[in-house]
Amino acid sequence: MSQSGQSSESVIEIRNLGKVYRDFWGRPKVKAVNALSLDVRKGEVFGLLGPNGSGKTTTLKLLLGLLFPSEGEIKILGKSAADVAKNERIGYLPEESYLYRFLNAYETLDFYGRLFDMPASVRKERSEKLLDQVKLAPQARHRQLKEYSKGMTRRIGVAQALINDPDLVMLDEPTSGLDPLGNRDMKDLILDLKKQGKTVLMCSHLLADVQDVCDRIAILYGGELKVMGRVDELLKAQDETQILSSKLTPEAIKEVEAVLKKHGANVLKVDQPTANLEDLFLKTVQESRDRPGHRTVKEGAKS
Amino acid sequence: MSFDAQPIVFSEALIAWLVTAGGLLLLILGVSFLSALSQGNSGLKMFSSEAGGVLSDLISLSPRRIWALSKLTFIEAYRRKALAVFVVFALLFMFAGWFMGGGDGDITNDQVKVYVSFVLRAISWLTLPMALVLSSFGIPEDIRVRSLHTVVTKPARRLEIVIGRVLGFALIGTLVLSVMSVVGWIWIVREIPAKAQEMLVCRVPVKGDLTFIDRNGVPAEKGINTGDIVDFRSYIEGATKARAIWTFSGVGENSLDAEGNLNLENQFFAFRSYKGDMNHQLLYDFQFRNPEKKISFTTNPMEMGEFRGVRNKVPRKLERPGDDKTYDLIKDFVTSKGTLTVEVSCIDREQYLGMARPDLFIRLPDRSFAAGYFKAVLGIELMMILVILISVCSSTFLKGPIAALLTFVLLILGGEDSHKFMDQLVTGRSKENTEVLDQQVKQLEAAYVEAMKMPEGNEKDTAVQAARKQLEVKRNKLQTIKDGFKGGGFFESIYRIYTHMNDTTELPEGNPAMTIMVKVDDRLTGFLWLCKQIIPRLATFNNMSEYVANGFDVPWDSALLPCVLITLGYLLPCILLGYFALRVRELESK
Repeated sequence: MSQSGQSSESVIEIRNLGKVYRDFWGRPKVKAVNALSLDVRKGEVFGLLGPNGSGKTTTLKLLLGLLFPSEGEIKILGKSAADVAKNERIGYLPEESYLYRFLNAYETLDFYGRLFDMPASVRKERSEKLLDQVKLAPQARHRQLKEYSKGMTRRIGVAQALINDPDLVMLDEPTSGLDPLGNRDMKDLILDLKKQGKTVLMCSHLLADVQDVCDRIAILYGGELKVMGRVDELLKAQDETQILSSKLTPEAIKEVEAVLKKHGANVLKVDQPTANLEDLFLKTVQESRDRPGHRTVKEGAKS
Repeated sequence: MSFDAQPIVFSEALIAWLVTAGGLLLLILGVSFLSALSQGNSGLKMFSSEAGGVLSDLISLSPRRIWALSKLTFIEAYRRKALAVFVVFALLFMFAGWFMGGGDGDITNDQVKVYVSFVLRAISWLTLPMALVLSSFGIPEDIRVRSLHTVVTKPARRLEIVIGRVLGFALIGTLVLSVMSVVGWIWIVREIPAKAQEMLVCRVPVKGDLTFIDRNGVPAEKGINTGDIVDFRSYIEGATKARAIWTFSGVGENSLDAEGNLNLENQFFAFRSYKGDMNHQLLYDFQFRNPEKKISFTTNPMEMGEFRGVRNKVPRKLERPGDDKTYDLIKDFVTSKGTLTVEVSCIDREQYLGMARPDLFIRLPDRSFAAGYFKAVLGIELMMILVILISVCSSTFLKGPIAALLTFVLLILGGEDSHKFMDQLVTGRSKENTEVLDQQVKQLEAAYVEAMKMPEGNEKDTAVQAARKQLEVKRNKLQTIKDGFKGGGFFESIYRIYTHMNDTTELPEGNPAMTIMVKVDDRLTGFLWLCKQIIPRLATFNNMSEYVANGFDVPWDSALLPCVLITLGYLLPCILLGYFALRVRELESK
């Protein structure tokens, strides 16, 4: 077992994967993925990053069997990507929650539960549990999906991805289109899945979200793997040191700078740390819920 | 009725299906294997991996998953307002009665036929397009909006998706058809006045084999053609040796009605070469003949019922005025093999009586109209299932509008006229020498005449039957070739048009280009034969409504069974083809 309790056993093994899109006559048009090799280990949250058109969604679809590789090999849970049996243990949240708009939430989960040959009682129990877990409002559960907002659709999309309690969950842009609250809930869910020992593979181009939840990441560009490794190791600035202390007086700051200069270090920045915008937003929303009507605008604040 | 459906021979149908479906499957497998072989080891590995995957899918079919998919299809169609078709149905039936007459006045058989035809046709024209549109767009729409991604990433096999879709569309179509058929039946019964309700019956005919004797007493394939474009019926000349001979099998006491009469119903046509006696219809008689006992009995002349048919109640006890001999129709005229021979002759000189095989039959006790009506509805249901199978199959590799168009075109091509045209295209290239076949027919006719002259007995019966069968087969073959289009296949036709060569002129001999051209055309004709086999013959389904509209029960062996077998024959190939198409298709292909 490696750090963070993750196993070294690979759940996904990709070797020399390539995908070339061809035109009607079979001529190559675009090489979307080129010689990609990586492993996703059991129990980790793995982020596949890259700008638009980098091949991350194509890679995900190759893993799911929605596209066929032009070259290379894929093994998921020890089985080929083309093997339908592997789907018993995986869950997939598509980019846009492509669900059947004429079904309501219960019918949707019932339908997907049947695809796993689940008995009726199990389907019913899991549906209720999942709808509570994804925090879908009870009054919305009997409405057809075509009436749902983006956030609600995303929630039911997550629920269907988890209906079979999968060992491997693949999420394509999971926080796309969500408000900060929904974003937070999604990240909490991913961390919760990790705690349960599940493996999560997520594709995203929203870096802050990936940084908060992923153990390891791979960055793709132009269909090629550019960087792969643990988040904390990759983001660590190797040639700098950060010290966080309680508030210092200007005199104390001068003394600290003098000590650092004495040891040959350059002082790069002295500042008060700032919270991130997401935390401020969440804090404000929570306070508004707890104290309705209360305003926290500072006196004399200029716009 | 203007058709005479023959009972289907199950073994022949099965062989034809095995040849066509099996041949296509072998062709697809062969092409796939060769394609894999051309890619070397990796191609073979992929082929064997795919073969393994297919077997695994077949073994792992789950009825629960199939039911889930069919239920999804049903709910989706229902919530997409597929049932709006009922609005059109209701509108039609609310106002149709205004235009169909009826009321409390006298009503004829033809008017009853109009009512029944209208209902069955309306049901058919509303349910079939609905089924076609729903099933053509189902899977393509799923692929377009990507909702299918959330299904194939579950352990649902592509085969289950295809079967589930077919079942779901069939269920919604059956629901629509059931409601419409019940409403339609109630509407017919209410629209027909009470005193005409007796016309709402389904006659159960026992048909015989029909042969002819010409005016010189020689057996003939058909009677005379009096100039009709449609040669379904042929005519016998009055006051000559010309006869139409029906041989009914399986006749016995159970063929008689409750009063002990044999009901012989006929719907002969008349052709008058001169005006004649306008106070009565053309006259005809029946002659019952028993070749075993060498006795015959001729009935009194009877008037035919033009455009309305006549039901002759022939009493079991046959006696002639002035003749003290009486006969028992069953004991004296039904042979030991249970056959009854009835010869019809026209009495009026220089007038002609027209008939086809279905025009004289023994009428058994009638069945209820509801029984026949719902059999006709079953025919529509089977046709709807066939449409769904073809639409779903084609929608797995075509976009929705194209799949709908392809299915629609196949429905058009499945009509009787189109099939006849294709038959003519395929057989016109036959290399059989028609002169030689003509000679063979003449020889067989002579053999038939010789067999007829044999002493009465089992040996004669066997010889006559054998001679008649051989003669019929040869005549049919000759006629089919004669009916075929001449002038060669595709390339030969282009050559003939370009060189202004008419279709009876032989091609120049010894020219290699001509030889190659003819050989290529033969292969194309073979391909056309295959296409003809693939396109369903839809007249079989439409005939079921015709039976009921004309007041007949729908026979099992010549109507219902062929429809069931055609639908079953398309079930497996369509589902398998749809499965393979969906399996090899990239669902996220840009």
